[in-house]
Amino acid sequence: MEFIYYFGDVFSPLSFLLLLGGTIGGLILGATPGLSPTMAVALLIPFTFQLEAVQGLILLGAAYTSTVAGGAVSAILLKIPGAPANIATTLDGHTMAKQGQGAKALQLSFLASAVGGIFGVLLLIFLTPVLAQWALAFGPSHLFWLAILGVTVIGSLDSASVVKGLLSGCIGLWLATIGFDDIMGAQRFIFHPALGGGINIIAALIGLFAIPQVLTMFAKGRRTAGAEVIEVQKHSILAAMRELFRRPRALSIGTLTGSIIGLIPGVGGQIAGLVAYDQTKKFSADKDKFGKGHSEGVIAAESANNAMVGPSLVPLLTLSIPGSPTAAVLLGGLLIHGIFPGSDLFDNHPDVAWTFINSMLIGQVLMCLFGLYVAGLAARVAQVPQSVMAAIVLALSVFGAYSVQSSMGDVYVMACLGIGMFFLERFGFSAAPLVLGLILGPIAEANFIQGGMIADATVGKASYFLTGGLNMFLIAVVLASIAYSVWMELRARRHTTKEEAMA
Amino acid sequence: MNRAQHIVPSGIVFAVGCWVAWISYTQQPAEAFLFPRLIATVFVVLAAWTFGKAVLGLSKVGAGVSRSMIINLTPGLLVALIYVFWAAKALGFYTATAAAFFILLSLYDPAPHSEVWTWIRRGIITGVFVAVMYGLFALLLNVYTPREILF
Amino acid sequence: MKRLIAGAALALMSLTGGAMAQDYPERPIMMMVSYGAGGATDFQARIVTMTAGNEDALGMPIAIINKPGAGGRVGWNWFATQADPDGYTLAAYNVPHFIAQSIKGGVEYSADSFEPIANWGADPAVFVVATDSQFNSMEDVVAHAKENPGKLTFSGAGLFVGHHIAALQIEKAAGVKMAYIPTKGGGAAAMKAVIAGEVMGGINNLSDAFRAQEAGNVKILGVADLERSEFLPDVPTMMEQGLDVDNSSVNFRGVMVPKGTPQEVIDKLAATVPEMFKNDRVAKKMQAGGSPMHVMTRDEVIEMWAAREQTLKELLAGL
Repeated sequence: MEFIYYFGDVFSPLSFLLLLGGTIGGLILGATPGLSPTMAVALLIPFTFQLEAVQGLILLGAAYTSTVAGGAVSAILLKIPGAPANIATTLDGHTMAKQGQGAKALQLSFLASAVGGIFGVLLLIFLTPVLAQWALAFGPSHLFWLAILGVTVIGSLDSASVVKGLLSGCIGLWLATIGFDDIMGAQRFIFHPALGGGINIIAALIGLFAIPQVLTMFAKGRRTAGAEVIEVQKHSILAAMRELFRRPRALSIGTLTGSIIGLIPGVGGQIAGLVAYDQTKKFSADKDKFGKGHSEGVIAAESANNAMVGPSLVPLLTLSIPGSPTAAVLLGGLLIHGIFPGSDLFDNHPDVAWTFINSMLIGQVLMCLFGLYVAGLAARVAQVPQSVMAAIVLALSVFGAYSVQSSMGDVYVMACLGIGMFFLERFGFSAAPLVLGLILGPIAEANFIQGGMIADATVGKASYFLTGGLNMFLIAVVLASIAYSVWMELRARRHTTKEEAMA
Repeated sequence: MNRAQHIVPSGIVFAVGCWVAWISYTQQPAEAFLFPRLIATVFVVLAAWTFGKAVLGLSKVGAGVSRSMIINLTPGLLVALIYVFWAAKALGFYTATAAAFFILLSLYDPAPHSEVWTWIRRGIITGVFVAVMYGLFALLLNVYTPREILF
Repeated sequence: MKRLIAGAALALMSLTGGAMAQDYPERPIMMMVSYGAGGATDFQARIVTMTAGNEDALGMPIAIINKPGAGGRVGWNWFATQADPDGYTLAAYNVPHFIAQSIKGGVEYSADSFEPIANWGADPAVFVVATDSQFNSMEDVVAHAKENPGKLTFSGAGLFVGHHIAALQIEKAAGVKMAYIPTKGGGAAAMKAVIAGEVMGGINNLSDAFRAQEAGNVKILGVADLERSEFLPDVPTMMEQGLDVDNSSVNFRGVMVPKGTPQEVIDKLAATVPEMFKNDRVAKKMQAGGSPMHVMTRDEVIEMWAAREQTLKELLAGL
C-alpha cells in the first residue's frame, strides 16, 4: 500500500503538468505513423536532463503509456500500426473504420487500453516479486517454444488462404535471417549494402503496411471529391462503455494474455496483441466475424498491448534487466540520474519508484479521457481527401523509416518491401503474417542456437528442449493450437466444397 | 481470367524461394545456415504448391491487377520512387518532401487544374505540412535528416 | 532538369565542404553507437557527450544514433563504408571488439579504417555468478571446470567481443575447457542468463555487474584487469587468483572518425574532446552510473590500438 503515500507527488503542479504534457504528446507521437513507442521515449530522454529524477520519469512513464495507446489511432484509421504491438488492432479496427465506425473503434480501443493498462500497472504494484520470478522462469528452450507457438498462429491470421498465409509467414521468417547472424557473426543473404544491418522491424512495419495504403490510394486515380470520403458515424461514449462490458470475454482474455506475455523479457511486447487476438478468436462464439470489423478483435488487441506496459517493466525495476527496447531506454533515463533499478530503487529512492509507477496509473486514466475526447475528432482524419492523405503518409513513412536509426538504407528497404507487398496483397498474400514471421524468426533462431549450446554442454538437446513442466506446457499449447487450426480448416472446407465445385 | 496474373507473382515467389534454398544449402559456415535451411525448405514447398495452383488456374483469392489501376498508379509510383531513391538524399528531406508532396497533390487532387485558387490551395497545404514536419522532427525531436538545399 | 538540380546540389555541397574546416563545427554532430539504446556503451556515450554543446567544448550538440547488431559489426561496417568523413559523423569504438572482429575477418573494416579521437572509459570484464551459486572464487570455478571438462556453461555478449576474449584467456590460463554461451542482445541478456540460472556463470561488464551486485542478484568473483577497480575494491583480479589474464579484454570505449576526415577537423576534435570528457558534470554522472572513466588522448589511443592488435592476433591465431 506504500504507493498510495506517494500519490501526492504526482499531483504537484509541475509533475501534473509534465504528466499531462507527456500523455498528450505521447498520444500524438504514437498516432504518427512511423514513430514507435521506443523511439518516442528515446527522443524524450534529452528533455529529462534538465528535470529532477522524479519529474523526468513521470514524463517518460506517461509518454510510454500513451504512445502504446496512440499507436492504435493510425492502426485503426490508416491501417498503419505504430508499433508491432498494434498489428492485431489493424485487423478489425481498420475494417470498422471503413464501415464508418471509426469513432466507435477508437473509443473501444481507448477504453480497452485503459482497462488493460490499469490492470497491468496494478499487477506491477502488488505482485512485482512474484512476477520477477515468473519473468526469470523463461529460459532459451521456453522462449523457443513460445516463438513456435507464435508461428502456429501465422496461417490463420488475416488471410483468405491458409497456404498463402503460411507462405507469407515464411517470407517474413526468411527476411528476418538477412544480415549478420547474431551469434556466429556470419553474413547471410546480404546482396545489397543497405541490408548489412538486417531488416529493421520498425522500417519493415512502415513499409509493409503504409506503402500499400499509399499505392492503393494512387490506384484509385483522380476521383472527384465526395465519392471517396469515408463517412464517420457518431458514437456515444456511453454506448462504447456498454459495448466494452458486453464483451467481458475479449476484455479479460486480452488483459490476462497481455499481462502474462508482456512479462517475458525480449518477446512479450511484440506478440502480446497478436496472441491475445488469436486466443479471443478461438474462444469466441462468432469467429467468422473476426477480420470483418468485429469489436471483440479491437478490444482484445488493445487491452493486451496496454496491459503489457506495467509487467514489461518488472524485470527492469526488480532485477535491473531491461526486458524490452523501451525498458532499456528507460534504464538509461534512470542511470542518468544516478539511480540503479533493483532493490536500491525501492529501498533508497521509494519516492522515485512509486511516483513513476503512480504516474503510469494516472497516465492510463488521462490517456483514456483525452483519447475519448478526441476520438470523434480523430476519426475525421479518415475524411481527409485521399490525394492529401497519400502524400502525407508517404512523407511520414520516409521520415519515420529514416529516423529509426538515421539510415537511408532503412528507407530503401521500407520502400522495396512496401511496393512488393502492394502487389502481393493483390494476389491474396497478407502483411500481418509476414510481419509476425519477421518478429518471431530471430527469437526462435537465437534461442534455439543458444539453448542448443547450453544443452550440448549439459543435458543434451532432447531433454533440454522437451522435458520440464514449462516446456511440456508450451508444447501442449502448440499442439493444441495446430490441432485446432487443422480442425477448423477441415470443417470450413467441408462447408465450401460445394460452392467451389459450382465455381 | 485471373490465371495468367496469378502465375506471375506466385512464379516470382517460387523463384525467390528456390534462390533462398540454393544459397542456404551452398553457403558456409553450415551452422549459421541451419535455420535458413529449415525455413527455405518449407518456403519452397509452399511456394511450389501456390505456383502449381496458379498454373492450374485454381487460385481464387485476391483482386488482381487491372489496366485502369496500373494507369492510375504509374505516375504516383514514379514520383514516389524518385522521391525515395533519389531526391530525399540528394535534395535533402524537406526540399524533396515539399516537391514530391506538391506534385502528388497536383496529380491526384480532383480540383480543376484551370483555376488559380486550386494551385494556391495546393501550395498552402504543402507549405503547412512541410512546416509541421520540420517543427516535429527537426525542432522538437532533434532528428537529424539529410539537408542539402535549404533547411 | 534533373541534372541541373543535381549539379546545383553538388556545387552547394562542395561550397559547404570548403568552408567547413575553419568553422567546424557549424551544425549538430552525430555519433554512431554500434550497440542498442540502454546498453553500457550507449549509456556512457550519452553522458560523455552531453556537454558537447557548451561553448568551451564543441559548441554544438552531439546526437547519439544506434546501429546495433551482430556484436557491433553492423554499426562499424556502416561507419567504415557509408559514413561521410566530414567530421559530422563520429562513432564510439569498443576495443578489443572491433579489432578482434577484423582479425577474425568477414567485416569491411580494420583498425586502419578509423582515426581515433580520444578514449573516455575502460570497463574491465568480470566473472559473475548468481548469488546462490556454489562458486565463491575463481579457484572454485577452475576446480569445477577441471572435473567436468566442457560442461561448465558461462554466458557472454557474443563472439569476438571483450567477454569472449576474457573467456578465451581464462580457459587458456587455467588450462581448462568450458562452454562459452554467446547470447543475443548484449550484456543484459548474458546477465539475465546468469541471474535466472540458465548458465552457471558469466562474463560481463564491470559497470553492469556492479549494478547487479548492488541489486543483490550476483556475486563478482574476479576482475580481468591489471589492478583492482575502485568500484570493487574487495574483488581480486584474475592475476591475484593465479590466472594469467592481463587487460586485453578490458573494454576501452572512445570516439573515432572515419579515415579521410580532414586533418584540421581531427586536430580540433583531438584537442577538444578529451577536455570535454574531463568536465565535472560528466565525471559525476559517470561515477553515479557505476561507469569507470579513463581519459586518453589521440596519441595514447593510437598506441593502445596497435598493442591490442598485436596481442589479439596471437590469442586468436589458434581459432
